[in-house]
Amino acid sequence: MDLPINTAIPTVMHIDLNSCFATVEQQAHHHMRGKPVIVAAYKTDRGCILSPSIEAKKLGIKTGMRVYEAKQICPNVIIRDTDPILVRDVHSKFMKIFDDYSPYVIPKSIDEAVIDFSPVFSKTTDLIVIGKEIKDRMKKEIGEWIFCNIGIATNRFLAKLASSLHKPDGLDLINYKNLRQIYSSIKLTDLYGINTRFEFRLNASGINSPLDFFQAKENFLKKNVFKSITGYYWYLRLRGWEIDDYRSERKSFGQEYSLKEKTADLEKLKKIIMKLCEKMGRRLRQSNQFASGIHLGIMYQDYSFWHKGKKLHRSISSTKDLFEEVMILFFLQLKTNVVSKISVSCFSLNQNNNQQLALIDLGGEKINKISGALDKINDRFGEFTITPATMIDMKDVVIDRIAFGK
Amino acid sequence: MQEKLFEKISVIFSYNAEKNTAIPYKIRWRLCDYFIKKLAYHHKVREGRELLHIFHVSDGNLDFRIRFNTEDLNWILEEVSDGSSY
Repeated sequence: MDLPINTAIPTVMHIDLNSCFATVEQQAHHHMRGKPVIVAAYKTDRGCILSPSIEAKKLGIKTGMRVYEAKQICPNVIIRDTDPILVRDVHSKFMKIFDDYSPYVIPKSIDEAVIDFSPVFSKTTDLIVIGKEIKDRMKKEIGEWIFCNIGIATNRFLAKLASSLHKPDGLDLINYKNLRQIYSSIKLTDLYGINTRFEFRLNASGINSPLDFFQAKENFLKKNVFKSITGYYWYLRLRGWEIDDYRSERKSFGQEYSLKEKTADLEKLKKIIMKLCEKMGRRLRQSNQFASGIHLGIMYQDYSFWHKGKKLHRSISSTKDLFEEVMILFFLQLKTNVVSKISVSCFSLNQNNNQQLALIDLGGEKINKISGALDKINDRFGEFTITPATMIDMKDVVIDRIAFGK
Repeated sequence: MQEKLFEKISVIFSYNAEKNTAIPYKIRWRLCDYFIKKLAYHHKVREGRELLHIFHVSDGNLDFRIRFNTEDLNWILEEVSDGSSY
């Protein structure tokens, strides 16, 4: 039997800041407002564009382009690098606003959040009115240049779709009455989670539009298109049933760095790895956890990739221990090549309550105490006040960044 | 034009209890006075235990990013820009 469309009153609100990094720069810098601005990872020609402003987007500048491409489109484009402190401040301010409306506010990324109104929903709640109020409060309490898109629906997938319908300052509601009409007005790639390759896969099964996708039978999606339970999940999602409300817990800490100057020099690479381990270690120790697994990934100049991970017989948290374990992996590489990207991560997180005593004490406890003392100095006087000697001259390398995605 | 700096500056700061506003009124940088017309953004940041107030302000011609250190009560000019690409 076919599952009907979810006819419940929409209680999920998705809020998305427009061109977040660039808009925040325009908010803070009065003279950039109304002008094409791009925020790039590096301001050099090969730098990757992280966020074009709405004005830049109108000219055809897109996220992921290189800076030189943006300059070709608009020679007067203003190029800025990221200001993570500023963006995080805007994020915390809008999260504070959302917290006034529901206890269930889920940040999806630095510029997106979902508010689940179902626990506080009553007959008098009008989410359209609340949406307008949120927009007003964001302008008053954060800044007059801050626009956001708001989507309201019965599940997160449709709420996100609703938020993308009328950029840059939209407020849309999707319910069982307008669902078909909205599916017939968009493309498959407008659906969150469908990229061009996914679209090709759907096309191969005779699904050429969101409406075809919506009208496809559950068994067809499960057995013919996706050949897995994923087909059933899509079947539910497209009908407005919630299946994306899981909460994930942290299982690892990691840092990644794309080298500004690609190199095979061991001393330079050691410095970078040390800084990555220090940043990773700080976050690990701040969470009061230890790791008993370590991983290193390296991308070379020729785009080949090598990685190695291993489980450890002990739980570690100090930068020194993390660095030593990563370097053991580093020397397992079969070839030495010019490196373009390095990532380190630690996993198998634990509270280290039942640490087995080592037969030969290598001073692990002492190292952890020293590490704690160094952290206290950095907490008191600022990040990287005291660092391992290997990190000398690394102030402007592996700088603070905001991660993409969820 | 965007210039990153780290220079001490003189600041006259105004606080209005009725409107509950706090905004730099005038800054003196390199012997020139700039009257602040617009507070574009204000936020706080901690560097270790030091609390810094960052003000993004404009005098109508230039945008300034200035910071007030609550520990030593210093004002530092961190950036000047004019909204052009050069």
